[in-house]
Amino acid sequence: MRKKSILYVLIILFFVGAAIVFYAYREFFRKAEDVSTVQSAYQRSAIELIQEFKSNEQASNTLYLGKVLSVSGMVKSVESSDGTFTISLGDTTDLSSVRCTLDSLHGAEAGGLRIGSSIAVKGYCSGFNADEMLGSDVILNRCALEMINEKK
Amino acid sequence: MSKVLSVFLLMLLSLPLPAQRYFTKAGTIYFNASGDMEVIDATNKTVTSVMDTKTAAIQFAVLMKSFQFEKALMEEHFNENYAESSKFPKAEFKGEIINNKDINYGKEGSYPAKVKGKLTLHGVTRDVEASGTITIQGGKVQALAEFVITLSDFNVEIPSLVKDKVSKQAKIKVDCLMELLKS
Repeated sequence: MRKKSILYVLIILFFVGAAIVFYAYREFFRKAEDVSTVQSAYQRSAIELIQEFKSNEQASNTLYLGKVLSVSGMVKSVESSDGTFTISLGDTTDLSSVRCTLDSLHGAEAGGLRIGSSIAVKGYCSGFNADEMLGSDVILNRCALEMINEKK
Repeated sequence: MSKVLSVFLLMLLSLPLPAQRYFTKAGTIYFNASGDMEVIDATNKTVTSVMDTKTAAIQFAVLMKSFQFEKALMEEHFNENYAESSKFPKAEFKGEIINNKDINYGKEGSYPAKVKGKLTLHGVTRDVEASGTITIQGGKVQALAEFVITLSDFNVEIPSLVKDKVSKQAKIKVDCLMELLKS
């Protein structure tokens, strides 16, 4: 009887140990979550978002930094360098934009995007780069396209 | 006649040269702080950089949360424990190219460059110096530099538990391809 309960305890310990090792292993090699499968915390238009950061950078940082945002706006430009695509959203008369760097998984989505079409992009907000000469930008990282409203 | 000509020449000379500024918003900064045990490195592809070929001023700005690591856990630790990115979202370098006169921006080619200035990181500002190259090609300017910073200089603490895993110094590589700023 005693032997049997020791055996049970050992079996349980073994499974607990295996679970911990499995969890640690998975946690250690975990990749950043694909943004297209994450619910966005906030939805903003590009112009709204830029305005919020311009009027109070610190408060906006507290609110948005590291969060998944869904940002809608007009495509100002699509750039690529070394296979990384960046879509700028915002008002074409203003130097400032929301710059969305596409996740390498979603890079192909930039193909066929037209300047002037209105789209929504989802991505992790990494902050605000204020620059009077170049225009102040809100930066979104690891982005994916959410929707495209092509003008007919 | 020669008087008129010399006055004209004098006028020409006194005209201010147009500012030659180059910029990018998609520059790259890579860092490596690998210890003996594992590779710790990250890349940031949203670096903003501006340089003025006339005044030799050069600056870089980078958002800490834009550094991408291979492992998500490492990225979280970097942002939460080391860089404290919520408290100090941005790092900045402002300096000048000290051998700017040796660089002929009108002629394509690769020139060795030395940069000196102030780096603000994790809320601490320090003097740094870096050597690199400036390459002029196809109307664009590429600035490449490599330097090493000591993390404790910037009050980045490494817990003793992981002190063998994380290097006390970080190697930083900057690569910015800049285009002419039309103003």
